[in-house]
Amino acid sequence: MKIKNIIITFVSAIAILFSTSVVSLAKVVGDKIILGAAISLTGKYSSNGVHTQNGYNMAVDRINSMGGVKVGGKTYMFDIIYYDDESNPKRAAQLAERLISQDGVEFMLGPYSSGLTKAIAPVTEKYGVPMVEANGASRSLFTKGYKYLFAVLAPANLYLDVAIRTAVELNGGKGVRIAQAFEQDAFSQDVRLGILDAAKETGSKIIIDDKLPKELNDMAATLAKVKATKPDVLVVSGHTKGALTAIRQIAEMKVDVPMLAMTHCDAAKLSKQHGANSQYALCASQWHKTLTYKDDFFTDGMTYDADFTKEFGYAPPYQAAESSAALLVFKDAFERAGSFDQKKVRDALAATNMQTFYGNIKFAEGGQNVDKPMVLFQVMCDDAGKCENKVVAPLKWASAELIHPIPKWSER
Amino acid sequence: MNKNIILYAAILIFGVAAPFVFPAFKVQLSILCILIILAITWNVQGGEMGYNTFGNILFYGLGMYLCASVQVGMFFPLAEWTEGGGEKTFVHTPAQFFQGFAVGLAVAAIVPAIVAGLIGYSILGLRGHYFAICTLGLGVAAGEISGGIEIIGAGQGFTTPPFPKVGSLEARGEFFYFCSFAVLIFTFLAVKAIYSTRFKLVLNAIRDNEDKAEAMGIQTMKYKIIGWMISAFFCGLAGGIMGGLVGYIDSTDVAFDGREMGVFMVLMAILGGKGTLWGPVIGATVFHIFKEGFWTFFLGWQYVALGVLIVVIVIYFPEGIMGWLREKYPERFGEVVDEADRKAQVELK
Repeated sequence: MKIKNIIITFVSAIAILFSTSVVSLAKVVGDKIILGAAISLTGKYSSNGVHTQNGYNMAVDRINSMGGVKVGGKTYMFDIIYYDDESNPKRAAQLAERLISQDGVEFMLGPYSSGLTKAIAPVTEKYGVPMVEANGASRSLFTKGYKYLFAVLAPANLYLDVAIRTAVELNGGKGVRIAQAFEQDAFSQDVRLGILDAAKETGSKIIIDDKLPKELNDMAATLAKVKATKPDVLVVSGHTKGALTAIRQIAEMKVDVPMLAMTHCDAAKLSKQHGANSQYALCASQWHKTLTYKDDFFTDGMTYDADFTKEFGYAPPYQAAESSAALLVFKDAFERAGSFDQKKVRDALAATNMQTFYGNIKFAEGGQNVDKPMVLFQVMCDDAGKCENKVVAPLKWASAELIHPIPKWSER
Repeated sequence: MNKNIILYAAILIFGVAAPFVFPAFKVQLSILCILIILAITWNVQGGEMGYNTFGNILFYGLGMYLCASVQVGMFFPLAEWTEGGGEKTFVHTPAQFFQGFAVGLAVAAIVPAIVAGLIGYSILGLRGHYFAICTLGLGVAAGEISGGIEIIGAGQGFTTPPFPKVGSLEARGEFFYFCSFAVLIFTFLAVKAIYSTRFKLVLNAIRDNEDKAEAMGIQTMKYKIIGWMISAFFCGLAGGIMGGLVGYIDSTDVAFDGREMGVFMVLMAILGGKGTLWGPVIGATVFHIFKEGFWTFFLGWQYVALGVLIVVIVIYFPEGIMGWLREKYPERFGEVVDEADRKAQVELK
C-alpha cells in the first residue's frame, strides 16, 4: 500500500505547484496599461493571427513612441500579454478566462476570426471586460446583446454584397446566376448569408451552394460543377487557405467565369503568390491603402503601408490595419474616459466617433462599426506580370475601372 | 485500508476546497476533471480490453451537442436559436437554465451509450489496427456531418445558453467546476466498482487472448459492447459539461475534436500507465500541468515541447508512470520479489 504514499506526495506537489504559480498582474502597473490578447500563432489561422499580432504591435510601438496614453494627467504606455489560442475556440475561451482571472487583465484585444471571437465574447462579457476586436465580423456577434464588445470592422454579411449588386447592375438590372462555395466556419457562413440576402433582393438565382471543409486544400468538385453550369458569378470564401486554393485550382482547371468574388485575397498575398493567375479576382476588403482616411499616428493608408512594410517585410493586409486601428480606439477611449474604471471605459468606447487611417469608427448598439463601408478591389496585372490590387468599388475611392467579364483562359 | 480512506478523504477535501483556495484556476481545474474522466474511460477499452479506440471523441462531442440542444430546445425553438444571423436573443431564467442543463446531461449520457451499443455491435468485430482505424474515421465523420446540420448551427457553431445572473461573478466557474468534479468522482467510483468484479477479468481476458476467452465460453462481443457503452456514458457526460463550460460549440474544433481531445485521452492514459485504475488519473494530471506550463513558457512552441514529452514518454516510460513505479518499487504494489530469482534471471539474459 506504499503506492498510496507516492500518490499523496504527488497530490500535495500539485497543490504546491498551483499555489506558487499564482502570478497576479494588475491591469495598470506603474506607467503601463496591460492589454490581453489570445492570438492564433499556430493552427489553421496562424498566418492571419500573425497579421493581427503585427498590427497590434505596430500600433503599440507607434502610440508609445508618440507620447503614450494620457489619463488623469499621467502618461501611460501600452503593453500586451499574448497567448497562442492554436486557432481553437475551446482554447481561446480558456485563455480569455486565464488572462482575466490569472493575469488580472482588465481590457482585452480581440483574437483572429469570428469563431474565436464568439468563444471569447461570453467570457469578457461575464467579467465586464471591455474588448475591442478587429477580426470578428460574424453578424451573430452583434445580435447577442453584448455590452462590452466593440468591433472596428464592418459585419461579414456585407463583405460581398456589393459584388453581387455590381454584377446585377452590369447585367442590365436582371438577376444573375450565382455559384458559391464557403468554408464551414462562422465567418464564411455569414458571408454566405449576405449573398443569400443580396440574391433575394436582386432576384438572382443560386445554382451551386457548396460547403468546403475547414482544412481546405481542394475544391475541384465545386469547380467541376462550375465548369459544367457556367454561372455568372463565382463566390468563394474560406479565409486565406480558401483564397489560395480557389486561385490555384481555377488556374489549373482553366475555369472560365465572368466574375470571381472572394475574401482574404490580400491576406493570402494572392497577387504575389499566384501572379497573373490571380488576375481579375474581385476581393472584399475592410481597408485598402489608397483610401483617403487620416489620423495623427499613422498619417494615412499609404504611410501605414510603407511603415508596416519597412517593419515587417511585407505589405499590410487589412487584417493588420484593422488590428492597429483597435489600439487607436482604445487610446482614444481611455483618454476620454479619463480613468481605468471598466464601466467608464466601456461607455467611452460606446461613444467613440473618430477617424483613423483605417476608416471612420462609430459603434452601433450591438458593437459593430457602422461608419465604414467595405471596399472591393480587383487584382490587375501589367504586361510585365506585376500584379496589384486596385480599388474598383465604391466609386468614391475607385482607382481603376472594373474589368468585366473576365477574359476567357483561352484568350489570356 | 486506513491509508486508503485517508487518501480518498484528502483528495475529496482538496477537490472541494480547490476552487476557493485557487479561485483563479477554476477553469483549468474543471478541464483537468474532464481530462481525467476521458482518460479513465479510454482506459476501459485501450487499457483493460486492449482495443485502442480513437472513437470515444464521438461520444464526447455527441454529449456536448445533445446537452446544449436539450437545454435550449426545452424552452425555445432550437432552429431560431442557432439560426445563422441569430437575430433573436433568448434568455434563460435561472430555473430554466439549471433544469435544462440537468435534463441535457441525462440525455448527453444516455444517448451516446445507446449509440455506442449500436456502433459497437457493428464494428467491435474488428480487431487490432483495423478497429483503431475504423474508430478514427468515426470522429472525423461525425465532425464533418455535424458541421452540415443547420439546426445545431452547422459551420456557424452553437453558442450554449449563457449562465444566468445568480450569485457572484464566480458562480459560473464554481458551478461548472463542481459539476465536473462530481462527475469525476462518479466516474471513478463506478469504474473502480466495475474493476472489482468479474467484468474486469473478462475484459483482461479479451485483451490477453480473445480467441481463448471465447473458447472458454465467454460471450466476448457482449462484454465488449457493454464496456464501450459504459465509456460512452461517461464521455457523454464529460462532453455535456465541457460544452457549457466553453460556451461555444464548433463541430470540428470543440465537439468532435479528434485531433486534440481524441489524441490527448489516449496519450494521458498511456502516460499514466494503461491498464491501471490510477494510471489515467495521474497521467491526465501530469499531462495537463505540463501542457499549461508549455503554454505559458514556450509560446508558439508548445506543441514542439509536447512532442518532445511524448518522445520521452515512449522511450523512457513505455509502461507509463504507474508501470515505471511498479518496476522500480514492485514491493509497493504488493508484488513479492525473490532477489535470488531476479538475479538469476538477469544473469540468464
